[in-house]
Amino acid sequence: MAGQFNPDLHEDLRRFGARDLDMCMNCGTCTSICPMSEDAGGGFPRRVIRLVQTGRQKRLEASLDPWLCYYCGDCTLNCPRDANPAEVMMASRRYLTARYDFTGLASLFYRSVWAELAAIGLVGLLVTGLFVFLHGPVVLNHVALNTFAPVKWVERGDWIMAAILSFFLLAGAARMAWWTLGGPAMRRISPAIYLRQVPAFFVQLFSQNRWRRCGTHRSVVRWMKHLLLVSGYLSMLTLVLILLRWFQTDHVYPFYYPQRLWGYYATAALLYPTGDFIVSRFRRKEPIHMFSEASDWIFLIMLFLTALTGILVNVFRVNGFPLATYVVYIIHLSIAVPMLVVEVPFSKWSHIMYRPLSIYLAGVKQAAAEGKLLAVRDAEPVAG
Amino acid sequence: MQAQIMEKGYADALVIGGGIAGLQAALDIADQGYKVVIVEREASIGGRMISLSKVFPTMDCASCITTPKMSAAAHHENIEIMTFTEIDSIVAGADGHVVSVTRKPTYVNAEKCIGCRLCEYACDSELPDVFEQGLGATRAISVAFTNAIPQKAVLLADYCLSCGLCLRACPTDAIEFDQRPRQERITAGSVIVATGFQLNSLTVKPQYAAAQNANVISPLTLERLLAPHGPYGRVLRPSDGKIPDSVAFVLCAGSRDQTIGVPYCSRVCCMYSIKQAMLLAGSLPMADITIYYMDIRAFGKGYEQFYQMAKAMGIHFVRGKVARVDAAPHDDLLVHVEMTEEPVDCVRRQKHDLVVLSQGMIPQWNPAGVSPVHIGEDGFVATPDTADPCATNVPGIFVAGAAAGPKDIVDTIADAGAAAMLAGRYLADRAGKSRTPPSAAGRSIRLEMAV
Repeated sequence: MAGQFNPDLHEDLRRFGARDLDMCMNCGTCTSICPMSEDAGGGFPRRVIRLVQTGRQKRLEASLDPWLCYYCGDCTLNCPRDANPAEVMMASRRYLTARYDFTGLASLFYRSVWAELAAIGLVGLLVTGLFVFLHGPVVLNHVALNTFAPVKWVERGDWIMAAILSFFLLAGAARMAWWTLGGPAMRRISPAIYLRQVPAFFVQLFSQNRWRRCGTHRSVVRWMKHLLLVSGYLSMLTLVLILLRWFQTDHVYPFYYPQRLWGYYATAALLYPTGDFIVSRFRRKEPIHMFSEASDWIFLIMLFLTALTGILVNVFRVNGFPLATYVVYIIHLSIAVPMLVVEVPFSKWSHIMYRPLSIYLAGVKQAAAEGKLLAVRDAEPVAG
Repeated sequence: MQAQIMEKGYADALVIGGGIAGLQAALDIADQGYKVVIVEREASIGGRMISLSKVFPTMDCASCITTPKMSAAAHHENIEIMTFTEIDSIVAGADGHVVSVTRKPTYVNAEKCIGCRLCEYACDSELPDVFEQGLGATRAISVAFTNAIPQKAVLLADYCLSCGLCLRACPTDAIEFDQRPRQERITAGSVIVATGFQLNSLTVKPQYAAAQNANVISPLTLERLLAPHGPYGRVLRPSDGKIPDSVAFVLCAGSRDQTIGVPYCSRVCCMYSIKQAMLLAGSLPMADITIYYMDIRAFGKGYEQFYQMAKAMGIHFVRGKVARVDAAPHDDLLVHVEMTEEPVDCVRRQKHDLVVLSQGMIPQWNPAGVSPVHIGEDGFVATPDTADPCATNVPGIFVAGAAAGPKDIVDTIADAGAAAMLAGRYLADRAGKSRTPPSAAGRSIRLEMAV
């Protein structure tokens, strides 16, 4: 059937990091060693590799399998062909992120590190420029951050950014849902099924508790570190988006005051895991960190720098260095904003949406299939 | 065994290894009139093949093919056999390859020993029988196995209690406790490397848990279980002697696997597993027999028909590589496999009584430090010229059988014939070029060949 097969799919995936894909001979070692494969309904992750090898782009786009993999690396460690199935799953996630994004930016960023860096640089310069030209009065005898950068305006900027990012992310989520639930078939599923799965989305978003079932070893530790990172990230998001007026103050509260404690917790919860992941990616010992694409590095380093500059702003503010506070504040936002703008909808960070959504959609799909509302497309064997 | 064939330590050809490749090569060279010496590390010639039950695809009895060859070599007027002998070095000399060997002490005078086994019956020290893959027991002094050649007792010093029971039992006073390793030097016109293969360890993949489960066995163990003169005389599983109801063959358990450094195919596992499955179906008619495979490589003459026959007999063939074997209660085993030819939910934990791992074929002998023969990336003897598959990098040294890479018996025998042919031609060329070799027998044939 025309349009059903993409003979270049294999090549495409290679550009997203699946370099050893052609070594795979579909023996199924990965599937039978995978602790998640039974959950995922069999054939996981071999089926994904087979879809790519046979150019079944539409089927790959309709598959939730890549998002159900948490990269314990057991498949890669056991693969008799060094085909690196775990990295194929990772590359599929990158590919799907690019496909869900209708703008094509994600695809561009994943395939070209220079494009991603240029975009980050551009947004960073824009933010710097905004502050250089539009900042408030510079008070130098004491730290007056809210005079230099009025919280009201920063908050407004935050919300505008959040709205834009949410729009792109939700657009991607909509495409994901449309493809994976079989397009128009979505409408035949009763709203009750959609509603019943909503708690699963939030449970996954906050806990990622599926991850704990993954891997013969190490994954629980990895999950805990990731959970710490998520808690730090969500704390920061809350502080910056919702509680900014309470968080960004010129008055220095005592150390034990919740505003400071929570901020310190969030910073530590960002710095430690990101630092740990960076070191681990350098060492290349753990399966999950053996292979790093540019997008992985950029994501981690930006996150680490954001947290680092954030805590520096606080250090200068608390110790009364006005100019340093203002300068580092600009740097902080010139890193944080592009990181969010580029990473959240168009790159690695989008998994904050797609991971829990995949669990949600898998639940919907299963419930619908049980009620015979949906043909389970993945049920067909992918042979020869 | 016949008397000394060599004159002044010269042989036209020296064959390293007395397995089926070495025996065939030696016979083919000796039949041309050349003097041949076979150097065998073990106490008996016969190699791997003598321990097999039957051979595919003809289902001939393996002993019935090997024993006549062993016997023919042992009684050949141009062949001398040195068992229990190791190769120390092979260097080029003026008259050919100078091969230094160590004759390991057997503590039994081979001239006097008549193979009556009274020493073996008298001996009090028991040890696992290597020939029976450790399933049976043997004694510290024994003849290697029933149809061993030579039928001479060998005493294993490591297990000997020095009690003297054998000494008193021996009717010919053949026991000599004072034997020492003896170095000898042989000059050989040409050398045939027929050192064969070994299987990589059963525990090379910890995923298959062979170290923890006695019922995860080697295919060579199953050969012994299936052999009419095997350790139990019937098929019983090792852990508890239960008659297995369900037997799994895990193919590619030690080859085609980058993680253990054996990326190549061992070539014989598909076929011997099918053969063993068919034999099992004969001896255990009620048992379920499953072969887990990635692809069945039935490449030889009559092999495909053999495979189809096994399917028709009701052997289950399941496409999917086994990733892990776990222990289950009652010494049973769970085989983790994705049934890749079946629809959804196809990862299975299949229970079996007995699991046979197709271990990979790896080289038996590494010539490094012993001879200038090169080995390839896979460790097998390198054969640089594809058009000359038995020639090594050293002129006059040829390779036969599985020493050059995994081969089945049919190919090994053909290969041995080819190596023998090359050796004969090499010797004839040499005789034409330089001087007449000390052994004059068969000269007329050689001259004809040289012409």
